[in-house]
Amino acid sequence: MDSRYIRNFSIIAHIDHGKSTLADRLLEVTGTVESRKFSSQSQLLDSMALEQEKGVTIKASAVQMHWKAADGMTYELNLIDTPGHVDFAYEVSRALAACEGAVLVVDATQGVEAQTLANLYLALENDLEIVPVINKIDLATADVPRVTHEVAELLGMPQEDVIAVSAKEGTNVEAILQAVVDHVPPPSGADEAAPLRALIFDSHYDSYKGVIAYVRLQEGRVTRDTPLLMMATDAKTEPVEVGVFTPDMQPVEQLCAGEVGYIATGLKTVREAHVGDTVTEARRPASEPLPGYRAVKPMVFASLYPSEADDYANLRDALEKLQLNDASLTYIPETSQALQFGFRCGFLGLFHMDIVQERLEREYNQDLVVTAPSVAYQVVLTNGEEIEIHRPADLPDPSTIQEVREPWMKVQVITPTEYLGAVMEIFRRKRANLLMTETLDNLRVLLTFETPLAEMVIDLHDRLKSATRGYASMDYAFDSYRPDDLVKVDVLVNKDSVDALAIIVHRDMAYDKGSLLIRKMKEAIPRQLFEVPIQAVVGGKVIARVNVQALRKDVLAKCYGGDITRKRKLLEKQKAGKKRMKQLGNVIIPQEAFLAMLRLDED
Amino acid sequence: MDVALYIHVPFCLRRCTYCDFNTYAGLLDLRLAYIAALERELSLLAARHGRLRITTVYCGGGTPSLLGEAVADVLRTVQAQFTLADAAEITLEANPGTVDATLLGAWRAAGVNRLSLGVQSACANELALLGRIHTWKEVVEAVTLARRAGFDNLSLDLMFGLPGQTLAHWEHTLAQVLALAPEHLSLYALTLEEGTTLAAQVAAGVAPLPDPDLAADMYEAASDILCAAGFWQYEISNWARGLSMPLTIWSLPPGGQTESIGPWASRHNLAYWRNQSWLGVGAGAHSSWGGRRWHNLLHPDAYIHLLERGEWPVAEEEHIPPALVQGETMMLGLRLAEGVTAADFRERFGAELAEVYAPIIARLMEAGLLEWDGGRARLSVRGRLLGNQVFATFLPE
Ligand SMILES: Nc1nc2c(ncn2[C@@H]2O[C@H](COP(=O)(O)OP(=O)(O)OP(=O)(O)O)[C@@H](O)[C@H]2O)c(=O)[nH]1
Ligand code: SF4
Ligand SMILES: [Mg+2]
Repeated sequence: MDSRYIRNFSIIAHIDHGKSTLADRLLEVTGTVESRKFSSQSQLLDSMALEQEKGVTIKASAVQMHWKAADGMTYELNLIDTPGHVDFAYEVSRALAACEGAVLVVDATQGVEAQTLANLYLALENDLEIVPVINKIDLATADVPRVTHEVAELLGMPQEDVIAVSAKEGTNVEAILQAVVDHVPPPSGADEAAPLRALIFDSHYDSYKGVIAYVRLQEGRVTRDTPLLMMATDAKTEPVEVGVFTPDMQPVEQLCAGEVGYIATGLKTVREAHVGDTVTEARRPASEPLPGYRAVKPMVFASLYPSEADDYANLRDALEKLQLNDASLTYIPETSQALQFGFRCGFLGLFHMDIVQERLEREYNQDLVVTAPSVAYQVVLTNGEEIEIHRPADLPDPSTIQEVREPWMKVQVITPTEYLGAVMEIFRRKRANLLMTETLDNLRVLLTFETPLAEMVIDLHDRLKSATRGYASMDYAFDSYRPDDLVKVDVLVNKDSVDALAIIVHRDMAYDKGSLLIRKMKEAIPRQLFEVPIQAVVGGKVIARVNVQALRKDVLAKCYGGDITRKRKLLEKQKAGKKRMKQLGNVIIPQEAFLAMLRLDED
Repeated sequence: MDVALYIHVPFCLRRCTYCDFNTYAGLLDLRLAYIAALERELSLLAARHGRLRITTVYCGGGTPSLLGEAVADVLRTVQAQFTLADAAEITLEANPGTVDATLLGAWRAAGVNRLSLGVQSACANELALLGRIHTWKEVVEAVTLARRAGFDNLSLDLMFGLPGQTLAHWEHTLAQVLALAPEHLSLYALTLEEGTTLAAQVAAGVAPLPDPDLAADMYEAASDILCAAGFWQYEISNWARGLSMPLTIWSLPPGGQTESIGPWASRHNLAYWRNQSWLGVGAGAHSSWGGRRWHNLLHPDAYIHLLERGEWPVAEEEHIPPALVQGETMMLGLRLAEGVTAADFRERFGAELAEVYAPIIARLMEAGLLEWDGGRARLSVRGRLLGNQVFATFLPE
């Protein structure tokens, strides 16, 4: 394909503004997918069951379309639909790196929102050409003139350039394709003769074809018969297949410079081909790999354990495969006295954590125990050494600590003015500082806060949504690590500390949180043969204590000849139940109760 | 071969609110056919096992007293098919609302020498809550008439841990019952069985949920009161008047064996707790014989039907492997104050109790639930109330 007739673009927007629905229409008008397919399913590119169920895009997905433009030429349009949720910004940034243009969608009933701005800035950083679109103009609540004005203002473009569409009804969507052809540049430097350089922007594992690498070719060509080399890992392979997404995987003869498609690498170990690596030819390797992606730093950490200790190896396999399809997931093995063997995982946010958990459960059949989320702390020791800890239990003895720093985030909230007070109150309780208030129009304000991430991971998003009836939107990014008076609250059950329950909090909140924790724990622990003290401890000092009274009576009343088998079975059941319990020192508690503890929330 | 014989009578006038036993209200019309079926089953057993020597007969239910004078017919069949030991203990369960002087006289004459009366409570509101068909006054009358008819071995059943029951109510019931001077008492903590009216009432909040700690208090109060009244607790739920006074609650019987307390401990039930063989006849009756345990069809209709065709009415049979026999022997034997002796264990299994259960014994002693002196394992005073925690550990994995 002559690269002059190729256009690579992403669709970006705030969550729910209609990216995936718009992608549906583009697939339809280009004839890539037959119309009748859309009657049974919408948001076709949200192919994961989880995406369909939640109505949210989690993964960016690529698809190739062909369309005859006004100049009479047929263009190859490679579209990448992206997720809108802030936790998946990494997906967006990798998609953008494979494109020359971005269609920025804004919901005409909502206007510009927090991720509209965030994703727009990402696109501009990548020097992409922006095609502005306002969507949902079919809705009665759409304010087309206001939002058109807002978008034009934001981009410094004439209002006429903003394309007003209804993705749902298909109104005016061809105008978008024409604008892409006209304004988005073709891939530059697409030298087909040069040695192959293809950037892996995503991947998944197929048990027959091995690792499937989703690639954008910068230079060169690739066919089934091109022996390949992964530049970072040095792995060599003969590809099983090359192809494009339509959106199903469709084999093609070759992929050329400038194009987007996939290479079924045949590599069986997932470590050998990872996102960000450059694929080149084994016989004629390129001298330099492509820049790749900056590694993402996980913000939220939690531990995943198999419910049954025997399933540890399965969980490890599942994580390895999932990571291939979710480059932002990190994990390292860890052990816990109550939970035995598992993994400490890093996530980009709470939603990401939920999604990973759900995918492991559904796509990989894992039965998981997940601990409460926490953040990474930087600890400066009295000997000058600096360490980073990813779980509260690892915070060293206070006497060896000079300083503890926690991550602070910069948070931008766009809210209708009527909820301003409610928003400010929520952030006040989160130790936040208000940095700036900007009026967007006479209806909405943009607030910029800074707040500790640890406060955000609890329930900030839910609170914000409910306090503003869903009208506020939020975006956030890491700002800096800052020291504060942070202490670890240990929970001691019968004098033994339970690592999975330790938390790090501001000293002022230690008592409240500690009391809450042990009260919940008391509810969770069934009475044992002995009295069980539960204590909250800070730096070796007990700050709160409750007792679980000893069990006094557990005996089957009548036991005569008639029911010996039945009584024995009752005892056997009781005994079997105990095996599924978690052992904390010599205290045993039911798994369910332990899970409830780990999901401790505020109220 | 000596054996204990159980005879089940699955009829009641009305189902009590807490009851999930194999019993039926409104089926009394089946009485005659049922007795005929019992007699057939007894002769089938005799044909299979030969002329066994019956040491105890226990006629339980349900409400066996509803058989009326026909109890004598059933006992006659037992005598005809088997050899009834001279001093056989023959117990009949009776509901105080179903007895009169004539019946009691007839039963006594037929050989019944132990009467077990379901009393449950001396408080009218509790009797009503439990759905009992009799009053406390009828209990007193039944006892008086039984004494007059010559019953000198009388057992009374009581329940505690009832919804709304206070410690004072319970002590009142105990005092009233002791005034009747029974030879034997069975005290059962209420368990709310799934599917019963009472469980539904508690779930719906109509009746208060019983507090297990209060039930434990009641149990301990009863232990003290009965000990002071000269009753020996020889099993978790059973007390028998002794020939001598017990020194403390849960004393080891003076001669190391329950029999040494006096003649009033239930010999039939001892056979169960010592995991000996027994045969049961009647709908749903269980039997344990030579490493097998089986039970009959539950419904009297089905039971009668099969026996009319001359077939065994067995519903389910279970083989108890040797390791399980050992575990069950512990589970049952530890219910008794006499516990399980190393000597008996050795004689029965050719193994050392201390070796088979070494880690378990150590753990339970450390938890204060078990006493072990090298020759005998028995529950500690505290262990009585936590029996499940002990028994479960002896069952094989
Ligand atoms: N009325 C109307 N509804 C639309 C239109 N476009 C999208 N929607 C609806 O808006 C909701 C969100 O649409 P999606 O296409 O899933 O939005 P998205 O931007 O892909 O969402 P994320 O991927 O989760 O960020 C769905 O209920 C769509 O049916 C439109 O033009 N008109
Ligand atoms: S009398 Fe006994 S067997 Fe009959 S219903 Fe009442 S408790 Fe159950
Ligand atoms: Mg989407």
